[in-house]
Amino acid sequence: MASMKFYCDAERCIECNGCVTACKNENEVPWGVNRRRVVTIKDGEPGERSLSVACMHCSDAPCAAVCPVDCFYITDDGVVLHDKDICIGCGYCFYACPFGAPQFPSSAAFGSRGKMDKCTFCAGGPEENFSSEEKLKYGSNRLAEGKLPLCAEMCATKALLAGDADIVSDIYRKRIINRGASVMNWGVAYENAGLRVSQGKAGKASSTD
Amino acid sequence: MNIARKRQMRNVGILTLLLVLIAPLIPYAISAVSGSSVQGNEYQTQVKHPGGDLWREVRQRDTDVIGRTQVKGVDTGILINKSGEDWRQYRMEMLAPYGAYLMGAILGLIVLFYLVRGTLRIPGGFSGKKILRFTLNERMVHWFTVVIFWLLGVTGLILLYGRMVLIPLLGLEGFSITASASKEVHNLIGPLFLVAMLALIITFIKDNFYASGDLKWLFKAGGMLGGHVSAGRFNAGEKVWYWLASFLGLALCVTGLILDFAILGQSREIMALSHVIHTIAAIVMIAVSFGHIYLGTAGMEGSLSSMSTGYVDENWAKAHHDRWYEEMQATTTKDSKQEAVAGGVAATGKASPISDN
Repeated sequence: MASMKFYCDAERCIECNGCVTACKNENEVPWGVNRRRVVTIKDGEPGERSLSVACMHCSDAPCAAVCPVDCFYITDDGVVLHDKDICIGCGYCFYACPFGAPQFPSSAAFGSRGKMDKCTFCAGGPEENFSSEEKLKYGSNRLAEGKLPLCAEMCATKALLAGDADIVSDIYRKRIINRGASVMNWGVAYENAGLRVSQGKAGKASSTD
Repeated sequence: MNIARKRQMRNVGILTLLLVLIAPLIPYAISAVSGSSVQGNEYQTQVKHPGGDLWREVRQRDTDVIGRTQVKGVDTGILINKSGEDWRQYRMEMLAPYGAYLMGAILGLIVLFYLVRGTLRIPGGFSGKKILRFTLNERMVHWFTVVIFWLLGVTGLILLYGRMVLIPLLGLEGFSITASASKEVHNLIGPLFLVAMLALIITFIKDNFYASGDLKWLFKAGGMLGGHVSAGRFNAGEKVWYWLASFLGLALCVTGLILDFAILGQSREIMALSHVIHTIAAIVMIAVSFGHIYLGTAGMEGSLSSMSTGYVDENWAKAHHDRWYEEMQATTTKDSKQEAVAGGVAATGKASPISDN
C-alpha cells in the first residue's frame, strides 16, 4: 500500500507558479480558491527560497480530527480526501491545518464559508471515478488514470515531487548526496557548506533524477 | 619506623602505577577541554545542515516568518501555521471532555440537591395576594434572550458533540443536514445575541449593583444551609448570575462576531483564539444557566410565575426578598394613591403592583 506524498525541493523551486496554474486548470477550481500556492521566504534577500505548498496529505491529519461532521477519509494510497456532500463549511479544518490547505469559496450570507475545497492529490473524490459529479466537485482524478498530480508533473525544474513517499524520499536523498559532491568544489549552492569530498561529480549540480 | 617507611614506599608505588595507567588518556583529556575535534579528516568536518535556517523559518520556530506569494488571501504567506495544532489539542482534548464533565457535574449536583431538598416550598404557602415582580418589558427582554441563548446553545453543542453523539444515531448524511442547519442558525441568529445581551444588561442593571448584606447572603449560601437571609429585589446569587452572564455574554458576542464574519481578513490565530474564549464562555454560561433554570422552575415553588405572569405571591416575596417586599409595600401605597387619581391601571405595561388575580 502506497503512501502518497508531496515534497518541494527548495533548492530547485524558481517561483514560476506553474504548479499553481496547472492545478487551477486541471481541476477547474472555483474562483478565489487556490489549492496550491508558492511562498517565497526572504524575497529579494540573500538566502531567498521558494516553496510550493498545498495539502500535504498528513498521516495524522488535523483537519480530519477536528471536523465536526467527520467528512474526511484517507484512501488506500494515503491521500486525504473529503466528502463535499457532508461538509458544512464551518472552517475548523482551516484553523487546524498547518499548511493553510483548506479553501472556502465565500458564497452564503455575510460572506460565510461555502463547502471546503482542497488539494485532492488529483485523486477525485468519493463520487464514482471519472463521473461528471466527481469532475465538478473535486476536479480531475489522475491517480485513477495511473498518473501523478499535474502540479508535480508540470514542474519545470522538478522541484515539486509527488508520488509514493519511499520513491520521493529516495530521489531527494540522491539529490542531496550529489549536491554535497558539487558544492565542495564550486561552493555556489550553500553558504559554509561542505558535506564531503567530490566523488568525481565536480560541476554537476545534481544527478539525472 | 621501618614499617612506616615500607608503607610509604608502597603508597608511592601505587601512585606511580596509577599515573602510568592514566597517561595514555591525557591527549583525549586535552582535546576534550579545548573543545577541538581531531583534525585532518575531511569526512568528519562539522557542517551546518544547509537547509537548517530555511526550515527553521518555515516551521516558524523562532519568529513569525511571513513570505511573499502571488495567491491573495488570509495568511497565504505563512507556510506553516503553528497555532493550528494547539487549537486542535484544545478542542479535542480539553474543550470536549472537560466541557462535558462541567455540564454533567452541575446537572448531577442539581439532581442531587433536588433529591435531598426537593422543591423549596413557600413558607406559609400561597397567600393569594400577588405582587408585580417583573414588568412586561423586563419579561420580554428575558424571554427574548432565553430563546436566542438556547437556539445558539443547542446548535453550538450539536456542532461540538454531534460527531460523538449524533452520528451514531443519524448517520453521516443525517447528521450533516443537522449540523449544516445548526451552523446556519448559529451564524445567522448569533448577531442578535448582542442585541439581546445589551437589552438584558440595560434592563436589569439598576438593581444588580452590590448592596450591603450581599456578602452575608453569599456566606450563608442564600439560606441553603438553613436560616433566613434577607435580600433586596435581587439577592447576591442573582447578582452574581447577572454579572457573570453579562461579561460572558459580551465575550461571546465579541468573539462570535469575529468568528461569524470570516471575510474581514482576520488571521487563523485570531479566530482560533476567539474560538477558545467563545467556547469556554459558552460552556460556563450553559452550565451556570442550569442552576438558574432549576431555581426558576422545579427548584423553588412560586418563582416561575414572576417571569410568566410577572407576579409573585406575597409570601414568596417575604421569604426570599424581604427588603424588596418592604420597599414595594412602601411604594405601593404611594402608587395606589396616584392610580386612584389617574383612574386605574395604566396601559403602558406598568400594571398596578398589587393585584388580586
